[in-house]
Amino acid sequence: MQASPARPRPASNLELYSWFYMRISAIIMILLVGFHLFYMHIILGVNAIDFDIISGRWESPFWRLYDLFMLLFAWLHCANGVRLVLDDYVHHQGWRVIAKSMLYIVVFILIVLGAYVIFTFKPA
Amino acid sequence: MAAIAHLFRAVTYRGHEGQIAWMLHRITGIGVFFFLALHIADIFLMAFGPDVFNSLLFFYHKFLFKLAIVFGLYPGALYHGLNGIRVVIIDFWPGMSRKQALLWRIQIGLFAVAYIPSAIVMISAMFFSH
Repeated sequence: MQASPARPRPASNLELYSWFYMRISAIIMILLVGFHLFYMHIILGVNAIDFDIISGRWESPFWRLYDLFMLLFAWLHCANGVRLVLDDYVHHQGWRVIAKSMLYIVVFILIVLGAYVIFTFKPA
Repeated sequence: MAAIAHLFRAVTYRGHEGQIAWMLHRITGIGVFFFLALHIADIFLMAFGPDVFNSLLFFYHKFLFKLAIVFGLYPGALYHGLNGIRVVIIDFWPGMSRKQALLWRIQIGLFAVAYIPSAIVMISAMFFSH
């Protein structure tokens, strides 16, 4: 029986890192986002959340760091997921470049806005 | 037309648990992406002070939005997380791929156990608080 030809090695390890990042960030988010959803939606409830609640939360550097980690892990996980979906469904190269460029711009802007408010917010 | 053909193939391709799990993972993932974009933008509004932030909160306190959380975002994120754990288990322990159908059933069981009580808590909070 003839062996099937070896798969060509990819030019870079980017997709390997992407695959690994999705799994590592997933495990981290199970803890971070799991507790976040449980606390905000079950313990507190959406009705109770307002400016004072979040302001109080950000008095502590721990919760600022917690929120920063959620922002980075969740948003970059989302961004990479959408990148993979665009690769799967947008076959025309020109449209794919446009769609992915738009994705990267939105991802970058929201990372900056989110990190900005976490770092610069001053509780009243 | 290509989209309809694509949808037809998706519906008639009998991939059993794995295919359903994968499709739901995509759909919930895209949904969470759009919610998270909105969520980062609304938390950014904290920078403008209590008046601006609180005046825009009415959006989240609307009945329809809470309904969308209980029946859309929350089960979507929960499913995506549980299915993600299953994918990680299968990827990191290759022997588990032979038990993928069993893992799927365990996952659905865990989903029901986690979702039903928390949905009841959230729905009752919609009617009985304030």
